[in-house]
Amino acid sequence: MKLNKEMKFEIGRVYFAILGAVVLGIGIAEMLLGVTGRSFEWGIMEMSGEFLLWRGLILFFAGTFYLSSIQNFSDIHQLAKTVMASVMIWIIAGMKIFSMILESIPGGEEGGWFNTLEGFLASYSAPYIPSIFLLPFSLLVLYYIKLVESEEKMDGMKEESQPTGSGGDT
Amino acid sequence: MKLTVDERWDLIDKIAEQVVKYGEYRYRLKDAIADITVKPLTGIPIAIAVLYGFWSFFGAFAGFFTDGFLVKLFDNHWLPWLQEVFPGKGGWLYYIFVGDPAADNCFEAFGVLTSALFVAIGVVLPAIVAFYLFLIILEDTGYLPRLAVLVDTVLHKIGLHGFAVIPMILSLGCNVPAVIATRALETGKQRFMMAVLLAIFIPCGAQLGIMFKVIPGHVGFVMLYLLAGFFVFGFILDRLLPGKSPEILLDVPPYQRPIAKNVTRKLWMRVKSFFKVAIPFVLLGVIIVNLMYLTGFLGWLANLLEPLLCGWFGVPKETVGPLVAAFLRKDLAVAQLSAIEMTMPQLVTSVVLVSLYFPCVATFAMLIREGREGGLKGVSQYLFGGLGALIAVIFLWGGLIRLIWIILGVA
Amino acid sequence: MKILLMGNPNVGKSAIFNRLTGAKVIESNYPGTTVDYTRGYMRLDDEDVEVIDVPGTFSLEPKDVAEEVAVKILKENRDSVVVCIIDSTKLERGLYLALEIIEEGYPVVIALNMWDIAKEKSVWIDAKKLERVLGVPVVPTIAVSGEGIRELVSRIKEASPVDIERIVRNLEG
Ligand SMILES: Nc1nc2c(ncn2[C@@H]2O[C@H](COP(=O)(O)OP(=O)(O)OP(=O)(O)O)[C@@H](O)[C@H]2O)c(=O)[nH]1
Ligand SMILES: [Mg+2]
Repeated sequence: MKLNKEMKFEIGRVYFAILGAVVLGIGIAEMLLGVTGRSFEWGIMEMSGEFLLWRGLILFFAGTFYLSSIQNFSDIHQLAKTVMASVMIWIIAGMKIFSMILESIPGGEEGGWFNTLEGFLASYSAPYIPSIFLLPFSLLVLYYIKLVESEEKMDGMKEESQPTGSGGDT
Repeated sequence: MKLTVDERWDLIDKIAEQVVKYGEYRYRLKDAIADITVKPLTGIPIAIAVLYGFWSFFGAFAGFFTDGFLVKLFDNHWLPWLQEVFPGKGGWLYYIFVGDPAADNCFEAFGVLTSALFVAIGVVLPAIVAFYLFLIILEDTGYLPRLAVLVDTVLHKIGLHGFAVIPMILSLGCNVPAVIATRALETGKQRFMMAVLLAIFIPCGAQLGIMFKVIPGHVGFVMLYLLAGFFVFGFILDRLLPGKSPEILLDVPPYQRPIAKNVTRKLWMRVKSFFKVAIPFVLLGVIIVNLMYLTGFLGWLANLLEPLLCGWFGVPKETVGPLVAAFLRKDLAVAQLSAIEMTMPQLVTSVVLVSLYFPCVATFAMLIREGREGGLKGVSQYLFGGLGALIAVIFLWGGLIRLIWIILGVA
Repeated sequence: MKILLMGNPNVGKSAIFNRLTGAKVIESNYPGTTVDYTRGYMRLDDEDVEVIDVPGTFSLEPKDVAEEVAVKILKENRDSVVVCIIDSTKLERGLYLALEIIEEGYPVVIALNMWDIAKEKSVWIDAKKLERVLGVPVVPTIAVSGEGIRELVSRIKEASPVDIERIVRNLEG
C-alpha cells in the first residue's frame, strides 16, 4: 500500500505527539530530581549524574517543541520545531555517548595507559540516561526532512528549467 | 565626477533593475530553522542546548587527554625522571627548573620544567583545542551571529549591541584576539567598555581548562558569578562614561555546512598563535615567582598584604605568589593556588580573585595598543580608566563573594 | 601594482584572499572577522604582486575602527587595482561601495561572490550586462569551492578607471 502525503504527515503528527508527551514527562521528572538533588534508577534506565537539571530542562523544551509542532504538522515552520527538538535530544545523547567512548579508552588512575578489555566493555554497560533511549525514536524526523527537501528540490528544478535570463556562467 | 549619496542609490536602483531578476521566493525548511533559532521563545531553549553541548564537549575532550593520559605521563614518568637526573639537587637552579624535590605531582612541584610545562601542555593545550574546535564549528555554521541576536536584548541594557557578544565569546578562548575584535564595535565608548569588561571578567580558555581540574564542582558557579559581574559593572560603566551607544542593525548570514579543511586550518592557526603568546609567559612566570620566593621577596610581600588578603577577601596570605604569577599567566596562577592549603570556599574566592585581577601581560599590551589608536588621550583612557575600573571591581566584586560565603554559612 | 580586496563585511574577502595567495587568514561566517589588514603575494604574469585583505566596510565614510582601517588602506595605495567583492545576494549594497571606489578613480574588478547561495535563493544576476553597464570586468565566483577564481585573476589586468558619467550614459543608452 502506498501512502499519500497527507497520510504520511498524519502518522507523523500522532507519532510526535506521543514522543513529545514522553519527552516532556521525562524532562519534568529529571528537573524535579535535579532540583531536589536525588536520582532515580529503573531497570536499565537512570536519571542521575552531572547536569541532571540542565538535561531535564532541555528535554522539557524538546518535549514542548514536539507538542507545539503537531498542529499543522506539514507546515515547514512547524516541522522546523520538530527538527530542532530532535537536534536537542541528539545533543544530549550524542555528548553522553561521546564521553562514554572517551572514558572507556584510558586505563584509569591506577591502571596502565589503556583500559583492559573488561574495563572497556564495562563502561558501556547499563544503566543509561533516558536521552539514549529517546535517540532512536527521534530519528524519524530525518524521514520527514527528506520528504520536505525532495519536494523543495522538485520545485526548484521546475524553476531552473525556465529560461529566466540567468547571468554569466561560473 | 562624484555623486551624492542619493544620486548613487538612484543609479544603483537603475542598474539593479536591469541586471537582477528574482525568481519566485521559496521559503524552505532551512529558512524556517534559521528563523526559529533567532526568535527568543524558541531560540533561547536551543541556545541552552548548544551551550550544554559546548560544556560537555569541553569537559569530555579535555578530560580524555589530561586525566586519561597526560597527568599520568607527567606525574608518573616525567617528574620522577627529572627529579632523578637533574643535577644539583637542593641548589637554586634545581629549585627553579624542577622545584620541590619531594613533590609527587606536577601541580605541587613548582618548577619550570615540571609545573609550567605540565600546565601549558598537560592541561591547557587540550582545553584550548577543545574550545576552538567547538567555537570554529559554531562560527562556520553561522550559529554565532544568531547567538549574538539572542544576547542582543540583554546586552542592550548595558549599552552594548549587536556583535558585542562575539568578542565576549572569543575571549573565552583568549582575551588577546578578543580585544582586537572590539574594533568592529561602533563607538569609542563601546570599544573601551567591551575591552575593559572582557579583560576583567571573562576567563580565557587556558584558565577555564585549569579550573576544571582544580575546582571541578564550582566552575559553573564561578562563571555565573563573573558573568553577573560583567553585567553589573557594564551597567555602571555605561552610566558613567560619556559617549553614545547607537543602535545597529544585525546582519545574520545564512547557515552553512562547515568545510573540514577550513576548520582544521583555523584550528591550527589559532592554537599556534595561542601558544606563541602562552608558552613564553608560563615559563617566565614560574621563573619569576621562584626567584621572588628564593630571595624572600614573596614572603615579605605576603606579610605586607596579609591584612588585605585575610581581612577583606578571607584568603590565606600565601596566595600572594599566585597573584604575582597572575600578572603573567592566569592559568599558571590557578594551578599554583591548588597547591596552597585552604578550604574550598577560600579556593573558589581566590580563583575568582585571580580572574578579576589585572589582565595577563599579553592582554594588557593589547589593551594599550588599542588605546594608542586614540593617541595619548586614548592610551591614558585605557590605562587609567581601565585601572580604575579594575580596582573598584576587585574590591567590590572580590569582597562580595566572601559575603556570599558568610551568608551561606560556609566561611 | 598592488591588489586590494575590498567589499562589505562577510562577503568572502578573506576566503578569496586565501585562495589567491595561499596565505592564511581567518575566515568565519559572521561579519567583522577581519579587523586589521593582511598582506600576501600572488603570481600574476610571472610577477609577484602584493595582495591586501582589507577589513569589510559598507562605504568610504567609516563607522568603526575596522572601517577606518579599510579607508586608510585605500587612500594610501593609490597605485592599486581594487578587486571589489560583492555578495551576490546583496548586490545593491555591494555596488554602493564599488561605485564609490570607481568614483575615486581606481581601476576596479568586480567579483560576484556567493554565486552558489544566490542561485539557491533564485537571485539571477546578468553578469555580462552588469559588465557592459559598468565598463569593468565582472566575474561570478564561489570562493569556497574556487569556481571563477581563475577567471577573476585573468581579468585583473583588464581593469582600468571608468568615468561615472559613462556609466550613467550606458544605462540610458
Ligand atoms: N557558500 C559560499 N560561502 C562562501 C563563499 N565565499 C565565502 N564563503 C563563506 O562565507 C563566510 C565569510 O567569509 P570571509 O572570507 O570570512 O568573509 P570576509 O569578507 O573576509 O568577512 P569580514 O572579514 O568579516 O569582513 C565564510 O564562512 C566563508 O567560508 C562562497 O562563494 N560561497
Ligand atoms: Mg575577512
